[in-house]
Amino acid sequence: MSESQTIAVQVAAIEQVTPLIKHFTLAPLDGGNLPAFSGGSHIIVVMRGATRTFRNPYSLLSPPNRLEAYEIGVRRMEESRGGSHFLHDAVRVGTRLEIAHPVNLFPLDKIARKHVLIAGGIGITPFLAQLEDLHGGAVPYELHYSVRSPAHAAFLDRLRDREGERVRMYCDSAGEAIPFDALLSTQPLGTHVYVCGPEGLIRRVIDTAKASGWPGSHIHWEQFSVPPVGDAFDAFLAKSQRMVHVLPDQTLLEAIEAAGIDVPYLCRGGVCGFCHTRVTGLDGELIHNDHYLSDAEKSACKSIMPCVSRARGKSLVLDL
Amino acid sequence: MLITGIKSKPVYTPLSADIGGRYHLMLGMGVGAAPLLRVVAQMRTEAPSALANTRVLYVPPSGDAAQAHVAEFQNTGVAEVRTFGNAQALLAAFSALLTQALMGTRLYVAGPESFMGLGMKIALQFNLNKDEIRAEESGSLARRVHCVHCRAETEDVRTNVVQCVGCSRWLLVRDHYSRRLAAYMGVMADAEAPGELPPIQEVFA
Ligand code: FES
Repeated sequence: MSESQTIAVQVAAIEQVTPLIKHFTLAPLDGGNLPAFSGGSHIIVVMRGATRTFRNPYSLLSPPNRLEAYEIGVRRMEESRGGSHFLHDAVRVGTRLEIAHPVNLFPLDKIARKHVLIAGGIGITPFLAQLEDLHGGAVPYELHYSVRSPAHAAFLDRLRDREGERVRMYCDSAGEAIPFDALLSTQPLGTHVYVCGPEGLIRRVIDTAKASGWPGSHIHWEQFSVPPVGDAFDAFLAKSQRMVHVLPDQTLLEAIEAAGIDVPYLCRGGVCGFCHTRVTGLDGELIHNDHYLSDAEKSACKSIMPCVSRARGKSLVLDL
Repeated sequence: MLITGIKSKPVYTPLSADIGGRYHLMLGMGVGAAPLLRVVAQMRTEAPSALANTRVLYVPPSGDAAQAHVAEFQNTGVAEVRTFGNAQALLAAFSALLTQALMGTRLYVAGPESFMGLGMKIALQFNLNKDEIRAEESGSLARRVHCVHCRAETEDVRTNVVQCVGCSRWLLVRDHYSRRLAAYMGVMADAEAPGELPPIQEVFA
């Protein structure tokens, strides 16, 4: 992915849907239609701030058959490095942004006999688009949506109106919890489960499904890691003979890009594997924050996913 | 020869128990009993509680040995052993069971290749994936052959060339296998020179 492939858009509408979540509508600058996508796709939004450029992944929540505009939901992260704060605070109706073409790393299984969707908080967004694909079809489905309190249940009206009983909501504040065991131990053969939300929820679903005998091929999850803030460090790019300095609230990938060097990426959230970079020298340690490398690969310290991971120590040399 | 080196020919590995599953469903035919009994024995040592969730559907070979095989299954302590007179009857019962089955079910299939293919075809309709099915070829390699010209299926083919039951064309049996059809593809053998057939040999014993 490089900047030449981005699409220029303009913010057409902004709605505050919960105390923490804003809903943005992005229309193409030149009118016309945006590229087609399938439910579960995300885009990268490029935000050019005064001193820095942010590129964050957001799931598309608009109907896949509606291409005049894309919609995304953005939660204001407490510990944001800037992307979500920029969208929440600096972006107005009319602001111009760039986006990358949609990519689907979280597609529905095409021959499933049933779909069970499990969302936690802002994790509802990819399911909103997927429900559009499922609605009216022959394959049964249900959505389990867990939120902190009713005030935090984004898009609930839209879901209830359309899906009725197929949507079940659980509020932490009312002591309600998804009955993971009962839910996952009673599904008919050929069911697929999809989960998107906080790490604990994803872990819980995967573990419960496995304990109920589910094979891995029927369990799907998506979690974009938010790159954590860390200590500043330096990286030497061996092929291009450049030293880059990574600020505490900057990612390694952003620092490399700021130096004018392109690294391929799709998700910028540690899941797709595209930004995989070889580590050719290390005096110190790597702080892996991705969901892509295996534990063995992580401890081997021979590769890093620069979109979310960092280093600490004296030196880091990359094969770039 | 035209029929080698095609990747779609299924490759089967020896059966073993997948104790990550919660329910175990076994389909066997003829000498396919042996690999299934091996799986049951493995369960008994590694996860005895799995036996109570294990069901066996079996077509015994004809003759005196039949009862002995069935008794052997019954003695293992699995939840249920059902026997059938032929593959069709077994597969009908299998389909009915799958409509009731829950996620967490593992399928084990052992027997002649064409029997396994038909079992897998049904499993596919229920969206069972590779990590839910284990199969071991055991017994005849006779093939079901799908005529690419008239779409009829000729059963129990043991020769490299066979006359189609549907259109009577002479078909060359290829290694190209369709999981959806549970059959190997048969292509007209004398298309270029009508009447000129390669020597017919028994190759799938
Ligand atoms: S861009 Fe997807 S893992 Fe880094």
